[in-house]
Amino acid sequence: MSDQKISVAASPAASSPAATAAKHRVDPLAIIVRFQSLIGLVLVAIGGVIFSPRRHGEILFLNPDNIANIVRAVSETGIIAIGMTFVIITAGIDLSVGAVLGLSAVVTATMMISGGFGLISTIIAVLAMGIVFGVVQGTISTRFRLEPFIVTLAGLQAARGLALIVSGNQYINISYGDGPGLAPPVFAVLGERLFDNTVPVATIVFIIFAALATLVLNTTRFGRYVYAVGGNERAARISGVPVSMVKISVYAITGFASALAGIVHAGQFNFGSANDGLGYELTAIAAVVIGGTSLFGGAGSMVGTVAGTIMLGALANILQLNNITPATQLLATAAIIVLAAVLQSLVRRREGLGR
Amino acid sequence: MSAALLSVTGAVKHFGGVQALRGVDFDLKAGEIHALLGENGAGKSTLMNLLSGVYTPDEGEIRIDGEPVTFSNPREAQAAGIATIFQELDLVPSLDVAANLFLGRELMRAGGMLDVPAMRREAKRRLEAIELAIDPARLVADLSIGQRQVVAIVKALSYASRVLIMDEPTAALTVGEVERLFDIMRKLAASGVGIVYISHRLEEVPDIADRVTVMRDGRIAGITEPHTPQAELVRLLVGRPLDELYPERAKKAGKTLLSLKDASFRLARESAGWQPPSGISLEVKEGEIVGLAGIMGAGRTELLSALYGTGLAGRWQGEVAVDGRPVKLDSISAARKAGIAFVTDDRRGSGLMLRMAVGLNLVMSVIRRISPAGLMSPRRQAEAVRQSFGQFDIRPKNPDIAVGALSGGNQQKVVLAKEILGNPRLLLLDEPTRGVDVGAKGEIYARLRALAAQGLGILVASSEMPELIGLCDRIVVLRQGRNVAEFNGGVDEHTVLAAANGREA
Ligand SMILES: Nc1ncnc2c1ncn2[C@@H]1O[C@H](COP(=O)(O)OP(=O)(O)OP(=O)(O)O)[C@@H](O)[C@H]1O
Ligand SMILES: [Mg+2]
Repeated sequence: MSDQKISVAASPAASSPAATAAKHRVDPLAIIVRFQSLIGLVLVAIGGVIFSPRRHGEILFLNPDNIANIVRAVSETGIIAIGMTFVIITAGIDLSVGAVLGLSAVVTATMMISGGFGLISTIIAVLAMGIVFGVVQGTISTRFRLEPFIVTLAGLQAARGLALIVSGNQYINISYGDGPGLAPPVFAVLGERLFDNTVPVATIVFIIFAALATLVLNTTRFGRYVYAVGGNERAARISGVPVSMVKISVYAITGFASALAGIVHAGQFNFGSANDGLGYELTAIAAVVIGGTSLFGGAGSMVGTVAGTIMLGALANILQLNNITPATQLLATAAIIVLAAVLQSLVRRREGLGR
Repeated sequence: MSAALLSVTGAVKHFGGVQALRGVDFDLKAGEIHALLGENGAGKSTLMNLLSGVYTPDEGEIRIDGEPVTFSNPREAQAAGIATIFQELDLVPSLDVAANLFLGRELMRAGGMLDVPAMRREAKRRLEAIELAIDPARLVADLSIGQRQVVAIVKALSYASRVLIMDEPTAALTVGEVERLFDIMRKLAASGVGIVYISHRLEEVPDIADRVTVMRDGRIAGITEPHTPQAELVRLLVGRPLDELYPERAKKAGKTLLSLKDASFRLARESAGWQPPSGISLEVKEGEIVGLAGIMGAGRTELLSALYGTGLAGRWQGEVAVDGRPVKLDSISAARKAGIAFVTDDRRGSGLMLRMAVGLNLVMSVIRRISPAGLMSPRRQAEAVRQSFGQFDIRPKNPDIAVGALSGGNQQKVVLAKEILGNPRLLLLDEPTRGVDVGAKGEIYARLRALAAQGLGILVASSEMPELIGLCDRIVVLRQGRNVAEFNGGVDEHTVLAAANGREA
């Protein structure tokens, strides 16, 4: 489980006083939970193969186009879930992510189409806006000691409101070409695939972002601070950790991630709408939790989040391939979330740390 | 000899790979006060947690009046008349004292509404019975560790109909409070309640116990008389005789490190009855260990926290100087910049990240040092962890297990080790050996003395008078937030106590 996961980061330290360490048996359940999302992903994949419809003997689930579709479909929520992992490890939550995605998609489209801005300046401006949005939420929450739940709930409303104002409650369509009122054609690459038309560009963005985030979380001082704040905020403060700075930063990260996802969204679908990203916050939170990150804070991993994201996408895909209704999809997701949470709590209890 | 009121036979308990109990037999008679001693990690708390329904044994049997029982949760044990004061206090910080005392047993009005006034009244009565004026309407979060201990004691007393289990109840209490607690225990025992009493303060044992059981390494090491000489008890406990507990005092002190002249501060959260300290004057020199003595509420914790820049409302007033230069110790970062480190007495609340690994906790205050250019260096981290394990006998010797899975005394060693890693110039210690066994205490004292010899200054608050007297070069007595007397180390206990209580010696 989560504790073990963190211990991995510390394991170089482990080798030292090993005299008694040899006596410590490893709990199999703990291993299962440590890799729960990867195991879950494998199980879902096996299930996908078994239950996949076939055409001329071909397993449709494994068709390269289908796989590409799965990883493309999850890339936006995946990017958001990566950011969300930082926040949840600090024992916080960010409900504004889906709305900030919508706002970012709208602003991206508006800037390029009616604003006449170039691609680069648009991207920089939108990412900066996401960061600012996060910094504002983080600052309000730390400065006035408000629950992040409330602050980001308000943030959600604010971002949707702003998106409505900017878009005038219209779809802002993105048309490509050179000259004013048109987006540079290169922007459309976000909806395409590279490497022989196999790997979606959106997925590449997701993977790069995930890799960077993994490095930051596991190898930097800031990453360690994130765990510390969630582990015990008071203890962190007494140990000299700049707690407020860390908290503001993680919301800046989710803001950045949501803006990035918003740009990807606009590029993939060629429009921006104030309703984009509706409910993404919940999908992202689900992916993080299935990935083994504790809502209590102080424990979690990026790899888990990525696996959790893809697993949810693969599951939805199998159900769609079999023409199973969205209602059933929701129920299946619900069952998986509960299962993941139960596994974690079992291990905690076995270790005598939670009751 | 009467039949056992409560007995355990062949108790075995594992946690993952750790074997905490390896076949323990233990029994308690009605009306008996049974002291349970043992090193840190010996398995005392685990045994008591089996009796109070927190854990279920892997093997073994629990009997009450000879009848086998199984408890699957603490409520069932309580229903059988077993009350427990846990080592790591189980109070809800966000509720007030009265609500905590009546948690799960709330008094109701007709119509299903909580009868808050009645609960407050009754809470007040019970607290006064042990002669402690704690306002029942105060939040537990605002109480000192000692006061919380009292609340936990009063809570358990109120439903101890047959058995009372006390896991280190006196660890943060001063002599007077301990005496009152003992009186209550004797009365309770006289009425037929059996009491299990866990403590690391061996000097208390002859005073209160009828029988003594010593545990070592998950087994019973011996059962003995309470009047067994301390040296013999120690040998049973640690498995070998111990040298002198306290190291030699410093020959001479260096230049002045910390000096307060006529200083005062206000707390961010002041409770009724708290007198803001004023006119504090004291000095700590390089190489010196200075003790802070005082009864509960004298302001020891508040003074130490304030010197570390926490819990303050506004700024320090008066003269506060470090190294002869005036400093503003108004924030944690200012204090740390001045080379000050602080070991809190609230290890679970503000000392440790319980679910995180021991190694990660140890390096918490030196993260900067082990992350050059912002990147964590696993090598430096491993070095730091190794250094801590070398300096303090933390058991098990495994930096990868969650710190919350260590025994209480071992958690305390982690809190201490972690601040010492930061190479501070001035170390503020609040109850540094709370819950630490005699053997490990000796090692901690020796370590502190060795650090002092290298020029570190130490200001230490403790409710254990022998510790202050044995360890410190000087002892400053606080009463109502100000320093009222000062003695040299080795002074006799009564003199210090008299000053702490405001009486003539
Ligand atoms: N929840 C847990 N998970 C894993 N190991 C545990 C857990 N609780 C206790 N242990 C281990 O069991 C052993 C006995 O611990 P226990 O808390 O009973 O000691 P103790 O005698 O009460 O010590 P202390 O005097 O320090 O309080 C220790 O090695 C401890 O690390
Ligand atoms: Mg214990």
